[in-house]
Amino acid sequence: MGEVIVITSGKGGVGKTTATANIGAGLALRGYKVALVDADIGLRNLDVVLGLENRIVYDLVDVAHGHCRLKQALIKDKRFEGLHLLPAAQTKDKTAVKPEQMKEICLQLKEEFDYVIIDCPAGIEQGFKNAIAGAEKAIVVTTPEVSAVRDADRVIGLLEAAELKEPKLVINRLRPKMVRQGDMMTIEDIIEILAVDLLGVIPEDEQIIVTTNRGDTVVQDQRSRSGEAFRNIARRILGEPVPLMDLERDGNLFTRLRKIIGLR
Amino acid sequence: MMLGPEQMASEFRLAKVEDHQTILVQRTLRSGQSIFYAGNVIVLGDVNPGAEIVATGDVIVIGKLKGTVHAGAGGNEGAIVVAFRFEPTQLRIAGHVAQPAEETLPPGKPGLARIVDGAVVIEAFSLTGERKGPPSVLRTLPNAPVVESKARHTGAGAKRRNRGAVSEKAR
Ligand SMILES: Nc1ncnc2c1ncn2[C@@H]1O[C@H](COP(=O)(O)OP(=O)(O)O)[C@@H](O)[C@H]1O
Ligand SMILES: [Mg+2]
Repeated sequence: MGEVIVITSGKGGVGKTTATANIGAGLALRGYKVALVDADIGLRNLDVVLGLENRIVYDLVDVAHGHCRLKQALIKDKRFEGLHLLPAAQTKDKTAVKPEQMKEICLQLKEEFDYVIIDCPAGIEQGFKNAIAGAEKAIVVTTPEVSAVRDADRVIGLLEAAELKEPKLVINRLRPKMVRQGDMMTIEDIIEILAVDLLGVIPEDEQIIVTTNRGDTVVQDQRSRSGEAFRNIARRILGEPVPLMDLERDGNLFTRLRKIIGLR
Repeated sequence: MMLGPEQMASEFRLAKVEDHQTILVQRTLRSGQSIFYAGNVIVLGDVNPGAEIVATGDVIVIGKLKGTVHAGAGGNEGAIVVAFRFEPTQLRIAGHVAQPAEETLPPGKPGLARIVDGAVVIEAFSLTGERKGPPSVLRTLPNAPVVESKARHTGAGAKRRNRGAVSEKAR
């Protein structure tokens, strides 16, 4: 019996879809069977981020309405053994699926998969309610911005009210240099307000934009900082105690070498 | 008793502050969550930015107060606001509005707000040793009802249980 995790944020554009794709792929890399569910009906893009758009035949709404079997709608990823996507419908709106139907689909999926990860739409309305209906755990994504943290706080309150207790936090797009200069909220600032456990911190990384535009993930990239951060998150979800990586470490090989040999 | 804003408006006219009940909120109020109460409110937790408390009596926050508080709503100029960390976004007592940012209280410190000569005054509130100023009169809190730590948020929806004592710890 698998586990259903919803990835949510309140605010749009903070990295839910990116996190869903990369955490899912990260868990698949470790040998687990993963189903990603795009619950952002009408604004689907998890399929695009994963480069699976051209393989969609049936979608979540078709499954909910019994137009096809769940198995028929699931797309198998070719790069990551064990990774599957249940795409959202592009043409319908959020009312096309009811929370009850979402619950049922999640129940079926977790029979088959170790992890079911739901990419939640922005906002706190019907789409959000659908996305969390079948979830047992929640990951809240925020960026180090006051407005995003405020929305994350709001969402955590709603999750708690929906009995999704102790959501875990992912801080995305952190820029260590800006934090050091006092121009960006620190990890501590954010935790102080939200008072939830930290699951991981993803640095701002151009590589994410590059891979996303290619329909690829970053988590398999051994050289990228954000890839490492996502791998760490996957390991923490699996219960390994992985310390926070040193975001201050310089990406530049030359300066890193100097540090290693003690020149700083 | 827990009232919606409309009901509360009529309650304001009827209730005398001295008879007010006190509600105990055993959780952190997050952004978008609010408590409306005809009486005093004690929060065992934080009041985050974007959260709101409106009470006809006093508001006491055993935690960080960063949201918006209106004490003495309905006109009670004797109402006070106390918090262990006093950094409200906006503060009102009775008909007076204070912008704490303009006051001199250092952030991260306990604070107390009350009305002096028709204006909201915010002062440091020492938790140990000597203490000047109010509250010199300890009000008795008759049989304080408790908001469940699991309670759903928002005004009229917030549930409560009638319990004499505080048993659960805030988050
Ligand atoms: N850590 C990061 N560094 C750089 N760009 C990022 C990062 N995380 C997300 N992005 C970019 O931000 C945009 C929004 O991300 P997305 O995952 O679609 O957000 P959401 O699903 O929350 O709306 C995308 O263009 C994505 O490539
Ligand atoms: Mg998205």
